[in-house]
Amino acid sequence: MLKVEHLTKVYPNGVVALDDVSFTVSEKEFLAIIGLSGSGKSTLLRCINRLVEPTSGKIEWYGKNIVGMNSGELRKIRRQIGMIFQQFNLVKRASVLTNVLSGRLGYVSPRISLPGIWPKEEKERAARALHRMGLDDKAKSRADTLSGGQQQRVGIARALMQEPKLILADEPVASLDPVLAHSILRHLEELNRDEGITIMCSLHFLDLVHRYANRVLALKDGRILFDGPPRDIDHARFKEIYGEEAEDVRATFVDAPSQ
Amino acid sequence: MTSDKADSDPHSPVLAAVGSALIPGLGQFFVGRWTRGWGILVAVAASAGLVSWYGEQPLWYVVPAIIWIWGVWDASTEVDGAPRPLLIPVIAVLAMFYGIGWQVTKIELSTLTKNIDRASAILGPMIRPDFVGPRQEFQQAFVTIEVPCSANPPPGERSDDGLSLVASAGCGSAGDELVVSGSSFWPGASAELWWEDTIGERQHLLSGGRIVVVEPDAQGTFSSTIIIPQMRSGTGQEANLDQPLPERFLVIQARPLGGWEFTENGMRVLNGIFETLSLALVATTLSLIAAIPLGFLAARNLMDRTQGGMAIYFVVRTVLNFVRSIEPLIIAIVFVVVVGLGPFAGMLAIMVHSVAALAKLYSEVVESVEPGPIEAVQATGASWSEVVRYGVVPQVIPAFTAFTLYRWDINVRSSIIIGFVGGGGIGVWLFQWIILADYRAVGAAFVAIALVVIVLDHASSRLRERII
Ligand SMILES: Nc1ncnc2c1ncn2[C@@H]1O[C@H](COP(=O)(O)OP(=O)(O)OP(=O)(O)O)[C@@H](O)[C@H]1O
Ligand SMILES: [Mg+2]
Repeated sequence: MLKVEHLTKVYPNGVVALDDVSFTVSEKEFLAIIGLSGSGKSTLLRCINRLVEPTSGKIEWYGKNIVGMNSGELRKIRRQIGMIFQQFNLVKRASVLTNVLSGRLGYVSPRISLPGIWPKEEKERAARALHRMGLDDKAKSRADTLSGGQQQRVGIARALMQEPKLILADEPVASLDPVLAHSILRHLEELNRDEGITIMCSLHFLDLVHRYANRVLALKDGRILFDGPPRDIDHARFKEIYGEEAEDVRATFVDAPSQ
Repeated sequence: MTSDKADSDPHSPVLAAVGSALIPGLGQFFVGRWTRGWGILVAVAASAGLVSWYGEQPLWYVVPAIIWIWGVWDASTEVDGAPRPLLIPVIAVLAMFYGIGWQVTKIELSTLTKNIDRASAILGPMIRPDFVGPRQEFQQAFVTIEVPCSANPPPGERSDDGLSLVASAGCGSAGDELVVSGSSFWPGASAELWWEDTIGERQHLLSGGRIVVVEPDAQGTFSSTIIIPQMRSGTGQEANLDQPLPERFLVIQARPLGGWEFTENGMRVLNGIFETLSLALVATTLSLIAAIPLGFLAARNLMDRTQGGMAIYFVVRTVLNFVRSIEPLIIAIVFVVVVGLGPFAGMLAIMVHSVAALAKLYSEVVESVEPGPIEAVQATGASWSEVVRYGVVPQVIPAFTAFTLYRWDINVRSSIIIGFVGGGGIGVWLFQWIILADYRAVGAAFVAIALVVIVLDHASSRLRERII
């Protein structure tokens, strides 16, 4: 479904965040992206929906090149790709319901969205998404009154509103404690399994990678260092990815700095 | 670079010093300290220029001299080490600015104490504001007196509504004494005595410089000796002084009704304040409507996606900065000419200034929003306007509200001043009263303005706290 070819991103300050990255993603994959802080994980995920403008290369979405696409077409692609974030990125002062409904903006006409008078069917869709995330009673609450785990579930509900084929998750559990981390990833796993939604998820903890992903993409300094199933990451690979200093850390619990 | 030269040329300290003695800064140029050299040259030239322009005291030429000499010393020593600190020339320049500034602002402390009695003449009435007074009813009566006498003078007595006035003569010339008596007035309530000329101009009758007030006795009668005042002089009727004309002796009596009421000026203050408040409110509301879209267009983080966007951003920013720098008072003067005196002109002036000021503040609010939620909304496939509506607006509403309230607060204050140029509101009255030296009314206006400003300040800061 997604084919990335020779993708390069050079930030205006000269940092080469992605350096000739190529890979393909098939439907129903759960792809984990790992790598040290600064290795280009966020940049890669953001290039796919062009929140970050790629410098060169190709990103094909069902055969259509996203790079260089005009904004009208881009919006049509974006709405098929959900995104969730480490910091949840909810609009704090808006209600949970409004946050979830905003996931529908790629589909509804501005006549509906700008006045904010949402039709019943969309509200029901939002209610279903919230129900699925176990947040039925929170629809009216202000987003910033929720706990971190609840906020991330709102984030997933928002992505679900897009009826996505792919969900990009940029360190979705890095701000959560381990128990909540598992609960969030189980939700993603469920969506992957039951709805066939492809997941591309950057992760810091290798045990989570082993537990949830069926494929791993390891980045180092903007290059792909490894692309294969999680079980193929042996001790040598691990050291290659995370550097010699990480040696004394258990391979299943890499506590990389988050920023 | 400097030390290189010093090492290669041991004579340079002397040479540098000589250079700096000839032309300020030359020595510094010589050793490659360009900024310092220019600084010294400009400082010497500018301070010398300033002294010759303003300084009546040639003593101030000491300052450029000090800098010059310091420059020589600096040039001769800095080559072999760290540059000299700038303390001495900076102090010299500051001292000169203070000295000349003192002179230019014509500071004369002695006038502060010498004319202190003038202040008390103003402050005295001001602390008795003409705002409310005891509720009163009035009655008045007059009798016609001919000035000067003709062959057929009027009778010199008149009664009206039961009030009667009798004068010792029906005519007289300015300066003549008249004995006047009245009956059936309210007993015990003081009455003011006035003189009114043919064209209806009135003035208090004075005795020894004081306003004459009489108090009718228990029967309601009084009697008083008055001097016919010279009314017609100074009104352009000097030529007619000899022509007999009917003038009037007038008694106005006031009686308390119990309770208090707003005086005439008090009502004016109230109306003026109300006008000021609503003028500011309308101006703020209208400017808000225009400022919101401009605020978004002047926010870099929303406009930097495309080149066209950046162009709009720069144009809007520039226009806003320009308009914002014009005082509302000056804009008001223009509008007074265009639409005429009155609150409309003031409203327009405040509005124009507020649009620019608010849009600038709004744009700063928009620029400080969290980028995360905006990214998230963008990722859903939302359009620009939807990103603004769902990602930005909810984040900026509290700060927008706070800034708008604050602006209203400012606008109330500036609409007071705008009245001074005819822009409506309490300021119009205040300006008139200051010119007419009616300091009791001025006092009333001050009290009302202070109250409004305090209440508004308090209310708007409380509201702001609540919102943020
Ligand atoms: N907006 C930007 N401007 C300039 N350089 C950037 C920008 N964003 C990221 N970079 C740089 O690009 C490189 C890759 O950053 P990126 O955020 O993609 O890494 P990451 O793998 O997500 O790291 P982390 O685990 O810390 O989130 C880093 O060196 C970073 O400093
Ligand atoms: Mg990142």
